[in-house]
Amino acid sequence: MKLTFDDSVEAFRREFLDWLADNRPTDAEMAADPALSSAHLPAWAKAWTRRMFDAGWLVPSWPKELGGRDAGPVETLVYLEELTKAHIPRTTNPQGLGIVAPSILDYGSPEQIERYAMPILRGERAACLGMSEPGAGSDLAALSTRAVLDGDHFVVNGQKVWTSGANYAEFCFLFCRTDPSAPKHKGISVVLVDMDTPGITVRPLPEIVHPDKPDLNEVFFTDVVVPAENLVGQMNNGWAMANGSLAHERGMVWLNGVLMLEESMVKLLAEAPEALDRLPAQERAVAADQLVTSYIDSVAARCLGYRGFAKLVRGGSAPEQALMKAFSSEAGQRMAMRAAELMGDRSLDLGHDQAVAMGMGITSWMERYFGTFGGTISAGSSEIQRNIIAEKVLGLPRS
Amino acid sequence: MDLEFTDEEAELRDNVRDVLAGIAPTSLVRAIYEGTGDDTAVWEQMVQLDWPALTVPEAHGGLGYGFLAQAIVAEQLGLSLAPGAYLTTATQFAPAVREIGGDEVRERFLAAVAAGRITGTLALAEGGRWTPEAVQATATPVDGGWRLDGRKDSVLRGDTADEVVVVARGGAGLGAFVVPRGELEVHPRQVIDPTMAVADVVLDGVVVPADRVLAEPGPQVEEAVRRALDEAVVALAVATTATCRRIFDMTLEYAKEREQYGRPIGSFQALKHRLAEMYLAVERASSLGWFAALTIAEDDPRRHEAASLAKAAAGECQRLVVGDGLQLHGGIGFTWEHDLHFWLKRAKVGDVLFGNAVAHRAELARTLGLAATEEVFA
Repeated sequence: MKLTFDDSVEAFRREFLDWLADNRPTDAEMAADPALSSAHLPAWAKAWTRRMFDAGWLVPSWPKELGGRDAGPVETLVYLEELTKAHIPRTTNPQGLGIVAPSILDYGSPEQIERYAMPILRGERAACLGMSEPGAGSDLAALSTRAVLDGDHFVVNGQKVWTSGANYAEFCFLFCRTDPSAPKHKGISVVLVDMDTPGITVRPLPEIVHPDKPDLNEVFFTDVVVPAENLVGQMNNGWAMANGSLAHERGMVWLNGVLMLEESMVKLLAEAPEALDRLPAQERAVAADQLVTSYIDSVAARCLGYRGFAKLVRGGSAPEQALMKAFSSEAGQRMAMRAAELMGDRSLDLGHDQAVAMGMGITSWMERYFGTFGGTISAGSSEIQRNIIAEKVLGLPRS
Repeated sequence: MDLEFTDEEAELRDNVRDVLAGIAPTSLVRAIYEGTGDDTAVWEQMVQLDWPALTVPEAHGGLGYGFLAQAIVAEQLGLSLAPGAYLTTATQFAPAVREIGGDEVRERFLAAVAAGRITGTLALAEGGRWTPEAVQATATPVDGGWRLDGRKDSVLRGDTADEVVVVARGGAGLGAFVVPRGELEVHPRQVIDPTMAVADVVLDGVVVPADRVLAEPGPQVEEAVRRALDEAVVALAVATTATCRRIFDMTLEYAKEREQYGRPIGSFQALKHRLAEMYLAVERASSLGWFAALTIAEDDPRRHEAASLAKAAAGECQRLVVGDGLQLHGGIGFTWEHDLHFWLKRAKVGDVLFGNAVAHRAELARTLGLAATEEVFA
């Protein structure tokens, strides 16, 4: 155990920071043309992704030809930390870069890699991920969107929901049922669907905060024709990719969760003294105690995440990782709730000051509080996370 | 930050665990509870194995291991409930002597600790508060030394330790003194966990000669006391979290074995979610404990804050784990015959001593600038 990284890791950090200083998008260009959904690529974002790809900073752990530099996991951690500290998004299409592109690289044909994965890495195309359905949320394997092979093409019918960025994405990494007679995990395949194909209707679902910037969508497929060569990997082997997708996603989530929690805490600690000064002594002590509890959470999230990470780096298993999603999202929710309580009557106001925006247009702690439910509901709700911890980590029998 | 053990650290942990399983089995804990045994032999065997020397600097005849080793031992003490003089001697008395004392007095007492000749403890708390600010006991210069007056609360092993570091206040600030326990008026308390005996101490004009003065009252002593306190606090936090881990492990095992309605009770979602919560509480406190141990091992400026983070998290952890551990065991955990209650009670003692979760959150509020500005009394 030690508090610091090796010299070689610190040298890597300096190299990245030097490059970042010369190549980062400016605050002005990001503010002038903000991303409107998680698959929207403003001009600055396309150029930024391309610069990272060319310089080997897009996915540092990947080889040079895929926009990386064969960096190790500790270096990748340092890289992600520094991007967050600099308040620069790594991408404005997180599902595309984090899940869709790596899944195609793992399972796709050379043609699919050239047409779909590489354009994501070069900042040219954005993708969405078609997973959840009205009848298949936590129980993804229950999905019923059908893809029927008919000669040289599939015909797709069905409905997806909660599809982030479908209103801007150019194509969809779509999970659908190709064998309705097989057990539910064994009849699922993935096809790549261009979003301008006839028969696709996208209906945005404005959220309870910032409804002017909808990110979630319903997507309806009616007799959508998809070339047979757009099947990713083997027929009826989609469940392996679903697990792979979630693994990719969760691999990113723990660090993002920690960094977001710390960023929020820094902001709250800066605002707290003035808000606390409005309170009489007894209320002040109670409110301060609440904030301290959140502070403990934020430091604990880092320590817990890093502890699990250290085990993974050593090649062992890291049961801590399974805790991170529920813990960091719920800790963020409690923090926003306590912050709003601390702000008292002022917490009722909708914020309009973009200079203090907390991402996706959220500018007040009360909005933030409602927004945090996106984290505790999506990508395996907190309740599902507890089941996973109980069964997979603690070895308790299935119900 | 690398929060996983190196091979050497893991080896030390395994060695300590194996030794404690032999010299401090749960049957000994039960014997102490039932008045048919005592912990003298545990310390004697640790002395034979050179454990008291482990973290004493080499200059004073010790083995010179750092605080991480100390935390590794403390964790195993908390897991096994091993009783005896190690915790107070190594994590309270020795750090106080090392951090506060001058060269001669350090050599005298640390060499004695390393050789296993003395046991010790720290008498700091007053009014139930383990902070330098709480110290009201007085130190007054007299011919050939200092006279101490006042009282000290809840001194762990205050009734059996050979030597007691007493922190008292003089005109120029805090001072610290090593007093033979035999010269103190000791009032042993009947506590819920007899393996963690505490006593109140009355300082009724006891006179400490000059060669037993760790530091005369002065403005610089408070910081040294805080540094010693950080070590005691983190060691107890790590031990307490380990006690909770054992409660969690026992509860998890029970939930897998105990069957009702034809299936293990651990298959019911209500229990699964509570066990997941307990597991999180233990890992949350544990990772903060190791972080805090590292800040002390590397003398990082965050060490005082980290100590409070670790102790607060340990306290929050036991609050959940003691209650749910007992509840989920059902009737069997409520019986004296079952061993569970030894761990439950140890966890509570570990929270209370050296400041509970509430006290350490208040300290964090102070260090984070969230507490009200204290009024200054002219």
